[in-house]
Amino acid sequence: MKNQLNRRGLLGCIGGTVATILACSTLRKTKAAVQKFFISRQGPKGYDPTQHRWMVALDIERCIGCGLCVQACKTENHVPNSPSCFRTWVERYIIKKPKLASGETRGETVVDSPNGGMDGFHAPLIPKEEILNAFFVPKMCNLCEHSPCSQVCPVGATFDAPDGVVLVDPNYCIGCGFCVQACPYGCRFLNPTTKTADKCSLCYHRITRGLKPACVEICPTQARLFGDLKNLKQDDPIQKFFESGKAHASLKPHLGTGPRVIYASLDKEVR
Amino acid sequence: MDTILTNDLTVAITHIDGFIYPNETHLLWSLLIVIYPYITGLVAGAFIMASLVRVFNVQSLEPVYRLSLLTSLAFLLCAPLPLLFHLGHPERCFEIMMTPHLTSPMAMFGFVYAWYLMAVLLLELWFDYRRDFVEWGKTEPGIRGLIYRLLTLGVQDLSAPALGLDARMGKIISVVGIPSAFLLHGYVGFIFGSIKANPWWGNVLMPIIFIFSAIVSGMALCVFIYMFLCWARRFAIKMNCLDVMAKFLFYALVVDASIEALDWMHRLYAAEEEIHVLKSLAKGKLFYTLLIGQACLGTFVPLFLLGTIQLLLKKIPEQIRRRAYMVSSIFILIGVLAMRWNVVIGGQLFSKSLRGFTTYKLELAGQEGWLLSLILMLLPFAILGVFVRLFLPRNRLIAATA
Amino acid sequence: MRWLKIPPQIVRLLLVTFVIVSCYLILRQILTPVSFGAFGWYRAQALEEISARTPVFAGRQECDQCHAEILQTQAKFAHKTLGCETCHWVGQPHVEDPDVKTAKLTDHTCLRCHEQQAGRPAWFKQITSKKHYAEDRCTECHDGHKPDEK
Repeated sequence: MKNQLNRRGLLGCIGGTVATILACSTLRKTKAAVQKFFISRQGPKGYDPTQHRWMVALDIERCIGCGLCVQACKTENHVPNSPSCFRTWVERYIIKKPKLASGETRGETVVDSPNGGMDGFHAPLIPKEEILNAFFVPKMCNLCEHSPCSQVCPVGATFDAPDGVVLVDPNYCIGCGFCVQACPYGCRFLNPTTKTADKCSLCYHRITRGLKPACVEICPTQARLFGDLKNLKQDDPIQKFFESGKAHASLKPHLGTGPRVIYASLDKEVR
Repeated sequence: MDTILTNDLTVAITHIDGFIYPNETHLLWSLLIVIYPYITGLVAGAFIMASLVRVFNVQSLEPVYRLSLLTSLAFLLCAPLPLLFHLGHPERCFEIMMTPHLTSPMAMFGFVYAWYLMAVLLLELWFDYRRDFVEWGKTEPGIRGLIYRLLTLGVQDLSAPALGLDARMGKIISVVGIPSAFLLHGYVGFIFGSIKANPWWGNVLMPIIFIFSAIVSGMALCVFIYMFLCWARRFAIKMNCLDVMAKFLFYALVVDASIEALDWMHRLYAAEEEIHVLKSLAKGKLFYTLLIGQACLGTFVPLFLLGTIQLLLKKIPEQIRRRAYMVSSIFILIGVLAMRWNVVIGGQLFSKSLRGFTTYKLELAGQEGWLLSLILMLLPFAILGVFVRLFLPRNRLIAATA
Repeated sequence: MRWLKIPPQIVRLLLVTFVIVSCYLILRQILTPVSFGAFGWYRAQALEEISARTPVFAGRQECDQCHAEILQTQAKFAHKTLGCETCHWVGQPHVEDPDVKTAKLTDHTCLRCHEQQAGRPAWFKQITSKKHYAEDRCTECHDGHKPDEK
């Protein structure tokens, strides 16, 4: 008798569990339909991420270090000012002349990025006569093919979108910071306001509406180029960039992250 | 221009040396992430001490078997707390178990923790204590009696086959528990070891180093707590047991020191691009915690003390041995905490551009302050105190089972 | 059917395990977001949410709607690579209400790029502001839309 009760109890438990799982499934489908109805009204209609492949190229010979891109990014994406949080920034590299009879081809390299370059740069403390070469390097998310940041996210809050952009889902991110540590390029940070990971989103809200990212829009010298690899037009500046035959490089290729952002005229001192 | 002044002030206040990426000014993984691997390390190490009894049949350690398991449990219960306090959105912490990203080592935390807590530690304790729970449940009054009766899970059978099963299951779980303990702490080492972006962390030896320093710290903790508990209850220390604990502690320390030394030897020999910034880090910002704390206090002094005792065991009087064990275990505990500091904080002090350093400002209060970390470190001891009162009765202090 | 001779401890433990695992599976069904997994290991709805944010800068095409002649002029001179908002900054309020003016232009707007500096490439026009007619405003002599007009 006791055994029969046990068996019935057990079967009842199993049945109840299965029923609950099925009921939940129906509830979730209804919730999904309702949510879809409201949310999709706000986003750009008709954008299919699988039909685009966004690309950025950075021409170091054209960058003048004005820092307007950094400021534009902060304005466009409401990036907090403190503690230092940058979705994009500009670095200045000053390569000094080698010491006389030292047998070196170059002297010391001095790098700086005051406040990310947001207000431009003031004149360096190094006198002009000591400078062999100097240039500016804009930095941003490298749109990695095998992004280490999305690999390490424990919950799936940062991901590679089908159109090549690496995005963060601020409503799902738990703020553990693993992705920030995993990015070799230092382009991620923890947003102190939202307490989630944050990074350059390639101005996703602009490019899905046919606009350009804010930094590309503002750049005065076309040092930042942007395009859609799946829909390239003949007179696209980025198309001309590819055809220019300049030596192209990317940052830290030895790490195997597959960074897709291409730099032209990248010096060996740039990390 | 005001902005130029702000630029200079920001840099001056944070004291940056050289060049760092602008996003690296403030450290993200702070003191809470230092104490988390420390706590899980103590859990794993204390469990290994207990498994020496059941799996490797080291009978002289029988007196500390239950104490080791209870220590492991007390620390395990507190292990998720530093993580919860550190998360930007702790209310979303369940996501890690609902949609665990299988390519992320951090995603296994929820499952490994649940497995280790329930299927290893609680289960092993239950099988070991079940008989006592049944007996105490009948004799103890009030709430204590109720707790014991609840803990029997309603299984009152004390027949010989049932007790035999308890013993067999205890042994099986111990065997399963060793790799589980390694996984519980090793995955943390893998989290650091898998970050190829950071040359201080991204290293094949990292999980191994974490596991062995965990074993060392857990064993040192057991030594410390055993000695403390005997002193608190005015109970005579079983020197036989303590000597064997110290012996295993010494062996574990030798292995741990060798592997950490190997790591450094390889780094210095291969001298890759990052060696300059890492050497500056070790000699500069990490001088006190690495060279003094981890190396001298945490490794060389205990190696010397414990090694001398191992060589001259019979000739050293009991009192001196006890003092040496106490000093060694405290130094080891400090040294392993320093090691966690050096890995976590040290890895974020230098820039990924390999051109500069930032500073870590340790605050007193707040989410990342040391006051909270201190409380979280003391909490397991308080919980252990409750366990000792409930489960290690005075008349059978640190008694053998059966 | 006869109950197998399972020891009572094991039965009790199996029951507890079953309860825990079922609770987990049920919770997982409830708490996993609906759009999760559509494109990959993430909430597909996030793509919509992110793209739903309001752009701040208007973009050159917006200015072209009313100021087409200026853009056409500019396209013939050195500043053809600049967007309108590069100097005039955020234009969206002006697009929505043309009576609202864009940010005031100052000398700093020009000097920010054109002040001589190490690192600026040689082909780029640079001046040392102290030596270059410091008293007058830049716009006294230069027109930003056709800066190199003779």
